[in-house]
Amino acid sequence: MARRVLELPDTVPLSPIIDLWDQQEPDGPDATGIYDFYRNLADGELTGQKCLSCGKLIFPPQIICPSCNSTELEWVKIPEEGELYAFTELKLGAPIIVENYAPFVIAVARFGNYPENGFQISGMMFDESYEELKIGDRITWDILEIKGPGDKKRYWYYFRKL
Amino acid sequence: MRNVAIVGAGITKFGVREAGWKDLVQEAGKAVFDDVPNLDKKEIDSLIVGAAQPERWINQTHVAPLVAELLGIEVKRVISRTEVACASGQAAIRYAWLAVAMGLSDVAMVVGVEKMNTRFMNFSQSSMINVGNREFDGANGFTAPPFFALVAQRHMHDFGTTREQLAMVRVKNAEYGSYNPYAQFQKKVTVEKVIESRMVAPPLTLFDCSAITDGACALILASEEKAKQLTDTPVWIVGGVQHVDYAHTTNQMGDLSHWVGLRKAAKDLYEMLNIKPDDIDIAEVHDCFTISEILEYEELGFCKKGEGGKFIEEGQSYIGGKVAVNPGGGLLSNGHPLGATGVRQAWEIVMQFRGEVPKERYVGGAELGIAHNLSGMAQLHHIMAYSLKKRSDVKFGR
Ligand SMILES: [Zn+2]
Repeated sequence: MARRVLELPDTVPLSPIIDLWDQQEPDGPDATGIYDFYRNLADGELTGQKCLSCGKLIFPPQIICPSCNSTELEWVKIPEEGELYAFTELKLGAPIIVENYAPFVIAVARFGNYPENGFQISGMMFDESYEELKIGDRITWDILEIKGPGDKKRYWYYFRKL
Repeated sequence: MRNVAIVGAGITKFGVREAGWKDLVQEAGKAVFDDVPNLDKKEIDSLIVGAAQPERWINQTHVAPLVAELLGIEVKRVISRTEVACASGQAAIRYAWLAVAMGLSDVAMVVGVEKMNTRFMNFSQSSMINVGNREFDGANGFTAPPFFALVAQRHMHDFGTTREQLAMVRVKNAEYGSYNPYAQFQKKVTVEKVIESRMVAPPLTLFDCSAITDGACALILASEEKAKQLTDTPVWIVGGVQHVDYAHTTNQMGDLSHWVGLRKAAKDLYEMLNIKPDDIDIAEVHDCFTISEILEYEELGFCKKGEGGKFIEEGQSYIGGKVAVNPGGGLLSNGHPLGATGVRQAWEIVMQFRGEVPKERYVGGAELGIAHNLSGMAQLHHIMAYSLKKRSDVKFGR
C-alpha cells in the first residue's frame, strides 16, 4: 500500500465564471475589440456607436456594423438625460457577485429618440427604491467603479433619477 | 419529407431531486424504454440530447456520448447535444424529427435533461445571467425574473392588464398541475395566495415564477414504417418553426410588451399547416412566468393583442374554453428544468392524445396540439405541432 494525500489550496482566485465584468481586457489573449468602450467609461463617458457608412446607431458596441458590414464606426456619447421605460427590483436570486447589493433596482431606459435614433439600455439603480420610481421618470447615467479583487479597477455605469 | 411519429414517451418526477444528472438521464431512458416494449434498443440509430448548461451545473461537456453510454445505445447516424437555453429540449426534438424526415435516421431517441438544484444556488443564479447578453445585460443583474417583471410592468402599463389577471394564470395551471403526479407542485392555489407569496421582482411574486427544477424526459421518434411496428398510437410531428428578430440585447428588443418574434413564428406555422388558431385543441405554452402565458395568448392569436388578461379572466384558456392551454400544469406547476421542458411539453401532448392522463385534465377529442417553447429573455421563439393525423394525410383547417 502506498496511500498518498493531495493537498488543495484553501481558496482559489475569483473565477471568471462568476465575475460579471470579466470581458474588459485591453490586450493579451482575453483582449476585446471594443476595449475603447471601457476606456470611454474610465474617462467618464457612456458611449454607443454610429456607423459612418449607413448611419445606424449601434449598442452594445461591436467591431463591424451588423446592418452594412462596415468597419468604420465612431463613438457617440449616450445622451445624458433619458426616460425610465421599465423597472423592477431584484429581491430574490441575485447573481453571486452582487448579492451584497441586493435588493437593487434593475431598469431599462431610453435615450434619444428610440428606436429611430436612440438607445434602449439596461442598468442598475442603487439610490432609489422601486416605490420611489415611475415609468417616464427623467434619469441619467453615471460611472460605476468596480474595485477589486485585489488592486483590480474596472469601470461600468449605473442609472440614477434626475 | 417522410412522416415522423412519436412512438414512445417517458418522464421522471420533476422537482428538487436527490438525484444526479446521470441518474435523471437513466430514469427517463428506462421510462421511455418501458413505454415501447416492442423496441429493441439496437434499432435506435440516432440520439439528440437537449441540455442547456451541463457545463455550469455539473461541470460536464460532451454529454451526448455520455448519454449513449448510460442508456446502452450504439449510435450509427446522428448524435448531438442541442443548446438554446430554455428551449434546448424542443430543439432536440426538432433535429431528431429532421433526421428521420430526411431518411437519414429510422428510429431516433430524444432526451431532455437539466440538473439545476445544487448546494450553491447563488452560483446557479450566476449561470442564468448568461442567457441574455452577459457583458451588457447580465452584468446589470438581468436574470429571468427581473426581465419578465419588466415585461409584466409594461404590459400592465400599455394594456391595463391587472395583478389579479397575472395570478389567474397560476391558479389555472396549479389546478391542472394538481392532477399531474410528475409535477414539482401539485397544490391548487388562489389568486390571493399568489399575490401574497414572497416578492421576487415586483410585480412578480414567487408564485408568478416557474421554479428551479431537476428533471428529464425522453421520446422515441420513428419513420412511418417503423412506427407501425412499434405502436398502435403514434403521435405525428406535423410542423415546426422558430423565429428570432436579430434581437439578443435590450437595445434590439423594442417594446417589451410585444413579442414580435412569436407573432411571426405563429404566422409561419399557421401558413405551413394551413390552420387558424381556432383549429388548435391543446396549446402547451412556455409559462416560465404568469405574464408569459398572457403574451402567448395574444401573439399566438388566441385573442386580440392586449386582451390576454381578459382571456384568462373569462376562463377561455381552461379545458372547455376556446383552447386548452397547459392542461398538464405548464412550467409553473411542473417546474422548468431547461433542457427537459420542451420534451415534457411533447410528452404531455402524447399522453393527452392517448388518453393516458387523469380525467380532470383530459382534453377530450383533441386532434391538434402545439408546443411553444421560448428561450432566454424571450428573444427566440420555437413552436412545434403534433397531431393524431399524419402530416401527409391532412389538410388542416379549410
Ligand atoms: Zn452600417
